Amino acid sequence: MPNLDDVLSIVTELAERWTWKMETRRPESNRIDILLTSTADLVPFVTALRVQRLGYLSTITGLDPGLEAGQLELLYHFCPGAAVITLRLKVPRDGSHVPTLSQIIPSAESAEREVGEMFGITFDDLRNPDPLYLPDDWPAGLYPLRKDFAGNGRLKPA
Amino acid sequence: MASAYGWSRVLEQVKTWARANSPWVVHFNTGSCNGCDIEILATLTPRYDLERFGVKLKGSPRHADVLLATGPVTRQARERLLQVYAQMHEPKFVVAIGSCALSGGAFRGCYSVMNGIDQVIPVSAYIPGCPPRPEAIIDGVVKLVQSLTAPAAPATGPTPAEVPHILPPAGGPHA
Amino acid sequence: MDPRLEAERFTIPIGPQHPALKEPGHFRITVEGEIVTQAVVRLGYAHRGIEKAAEARNWIRNLYLFERVCGICSHIHATAFCLGVERLAGVDVPPRAQALRVLVAELERIHSHLLWLGVAGHEAGFDTLFMYSWRDREAIMDVLEGLTGNRVNYSANVLGGVKCDVDDAQRDAILRAVDLLEKRTEHYLQVVTTDALFLQRTRGIGVMTRAQAEVLGAVGPTARASGVERDVRIEAPYAAYPSFPVRLVVDTRGDLEARVVVRMRELFECYRLVREILDHLPPGEVRGRMPRRVPEGETVSRVEAPRGELFYFIKSNGSDTPERVRVRTPTVCNMTSVVKLAVGHQLADVPMILAGIDPCFSCNDRLIEVDRSSRPAECWTWEQLRAYGVNHYHGHRS
Repeated sequence: MPNLDDVLSIVTELAERWTWKMETRRPESNRIDILLTSTADLVPFVTALRVQRLGYLSTITGLDPGLEAGQLELLYHFCPGAAVITLRLKVPRDGSHVPTLSQIIPSAESAEREVGEMFGITFDDLRNPDPLYLPDDWPAGLYPLRKDFAGNGRLKPA
Repeated sequence: MASAYGWSRVLEQVKTWARANSPWVVHFNTGSCNGCDIEILATLTPRYDLERFGVKLKGSPRHADVLLATGPVTRQARERLLQVYAQMHEPKFVVAIGSCALSGGAFRGCYSVMNGIDQVIPVSAYIPGCPPRPEAIIDGVVKLVQSLTAPAAPATGPTPAEVPHILPPAGGPHA
Repeated sequence: MDPRLEAERFTIPIGPQHPALKEPGHFRITVEGEIVTQAVVRLGYAHRGIEKAAEARNWIRNLYLFERVCGICSHIHATAFCLGVERLAGVDVPPRAQALRVLVAELERIHSHLLWLGVAGHEAGFDTLFMYSWRDREAIMDVLEGLTGNRVNYSANVLGGVKCDVDDAQRDAILRAVDLLEKRTEHYLQVVTTDALFLQRTRGIGVMTRAQAEVLGAVGPTARASGVERDVRIEAPYAAYPSFPVRLVVDTRGDLEARVVVRMRELFECYRLVREILDHLPPGEVRGRMPRRVPEGETVSRVEAPRGELFYFIKSNGSDTPERVRVRTPTVCNMTSVVKLAVGHQLADVPMILAGIDPCFSCNDRLIEVDRSSRPAECWTWEQLRAYGVNHYHGHRS
C-alpha cells in the first residue's frame, strides 16, 4: 500500500511540473486538491496518476455553487491508500461537455452517468449514456441535484 | 421483546387462521432500504417459521392471495407495483409493511418517491415500524385475516376501479 | 432446453420482484443459446433522492436519513456520516465511543455476512444452508437489539459519539453469541468448501483476475477474493481501528468459491475483533459535545462496509444544514464487475455471479431481461431464473 506522504509528494510534484503549474490545496492532512484549468487537462492528468499507480478512482462528485456562479464543479476522487487526491474541474452550467474517463477507467462510467443525469453534464463518448438512477418517465432537462431544482416538495400521487 | 404470553397468543391465532386459510403471500419491494424485507424474510426462517402454519412465500403474484409491500414506492417502481397488483387474482389483499410503505417514512417528500403504497394501490392493512420486527409482521397479517371474517373497515387508497389496468407483457414460459 | 431450438438470442425480462434477494433491480442479458454475450444493468428502482433530501434537513435529521440508505449496513452509513461531520466541526469523539462504534460495525459485518451466506445458499438451491445460517444469525440480532434497542436500523450513532454503552451483562451476552457463531462458522466454512453440489455452483465459476478486479474498480470481499489488497480499515484506519488493527483476508483464486471463503474468514476476524474490543474497551464518556452549526468546509469519509468501501463527501456552508452530501456505495463499484463477468458464462450461472458480489440494491439502488432473439420478450421472474440455474445443475438428479 502506498505511503501517504509519498503519495502527496508525488502528486504535488506532478501538479507543479505540469505544462503549466496547477494550483493545489491541502484541505485536510490526507487530502490534496488539484485545480484543473480545462477539460483538456483531465485525461492526461488521470493517465499520469495511473502511470504512478495512484489511479484508483473512488467516485466523482458534482457540485452546484448556485445560479450566480454560472458554473458547476466536478470532483474526481482518487484514493490510493489513505490519501484522497481530488481533481477539481469547473464546467459551464449549460451545454458542458467533458471527456469520459471510462475508456481508461471502466468504473468511471457509472459515476459519470450519475453525475450527468443529476447535474446535466454531458460526458462525451460514454458507451452507455442512459440514465442510471432517474426513472424512465423523468422529464428531460430537469436536473435534481442542481440548486434551482426545488425537489423536496411532495410528488402528487398518480 | 414481545412477552412470552403475548407471542404465544399470536401463535395460537396464526395456527387457527392458517389452518383455515393457508394464505400464499408474495413480497414486493418498491424501493425500500431492505430493512423491512429482511425482517419479512426472517419470518420464514426457523425462529419464526411462518411456513409451518401454511403461509407460503410465492415467487409469482399469480399464485398469491396477499401482497406484502415494502418501500415508499419510488417512481421507477410504481409501474411494476401496479403490474404485480394486476397479476394477482381476486380476492387479494395488500399489506403495507414499514413506515416507508405507510407514508414514505424517512423519505417522505423526496422527489423520487410516491410517499407510500396506498398512493398507488388499495391497502388492507398497515404494519408500522422501522422496520417492524417479525412478530409485528406476523401479528399484522393475522389481524388482516381476522378482519376478513368480521365486518371490516374499507381499504384505504384508490378503489380497485381507480387503479389503472396494467396488463403484464405478453409471452413468457410461465405466462 | 429444447434441442430442436437453434441457438438464438432472445430477451427475458425479469421483474424487480426479487424473492430471494429481496431487492429491486433491472438487468438485461443477451444470450446465445446458453451463453451470455452481454449484460446491462438498469438501476433506479430504489432511487429515493436521498442526496437531495439531505440538503433540506439539518445535520441531526440527516443522521436518521443516512442510516436508512441501507437496512443491512445502516450503522456503517451513519458512522461514515458522523465521522465526516465531526471532523468538519472539530469535535473530539471520546475513545470509548469510537471503540463502541467499531464494535457495532463488526457486529453488523457479522450479521451481514451471515445474511449473505443464506442468500447465496438460496441462490444455489441450497435452502438448508439458508435456513441454518439465518437461524444462527438470530444470535447476532439479539445481541444488537440488546445493545442498541433495535434489530435493524440500530441508530447506535449520535453526532459526537454513540447512544449506547456496554455493561457486564451485555458483554457476556455478546461473548456467548460470538463463541456460538464461531463454532457455527467453522461448520459453514467446511460445508462451502466440501459440499459437492455447492462447489459445482462456485468453484471455478465467475473468475475475476486481480488485474481485472483492479481495472474494474472492485471493492470489498469481492476484490479481496481476487487478491486485491484493499480494505479501508487497514489502508486508512478510522474510528478506533488504529487501536484495534484488522488483519487482511485475501484469496487469490478469484472465483465464486473464493468470494464465499473470504467472507467466512472475515467472520473469524470479526469475532476476534469483537473479543479484543470488549477486552480493551477504553473507559470514559460515550459522547462529545456537538455544535448545531458546522463550520464551512469539505471532508471525505471513507469506511469499510460489509460489501466494500463506502465513500462520503460532505460539504458544509457553515449552517445547520449540509451544502452537499455525496454517497458512493460499494455495490455500484462491484456492479460493473458483474456485468463484465457474466459475459461468457452460462445463463444458469448468472444468479450466483450476482449474489457473489453481495449486491445491496438499496445501497445502490434491478429486473433481469434476458435477450434471446427477435422473439417476443419473455417475462421471467428472478425466481424463475434462480430455478433455471438450480435445475440446470441439479435438476437431472431429482
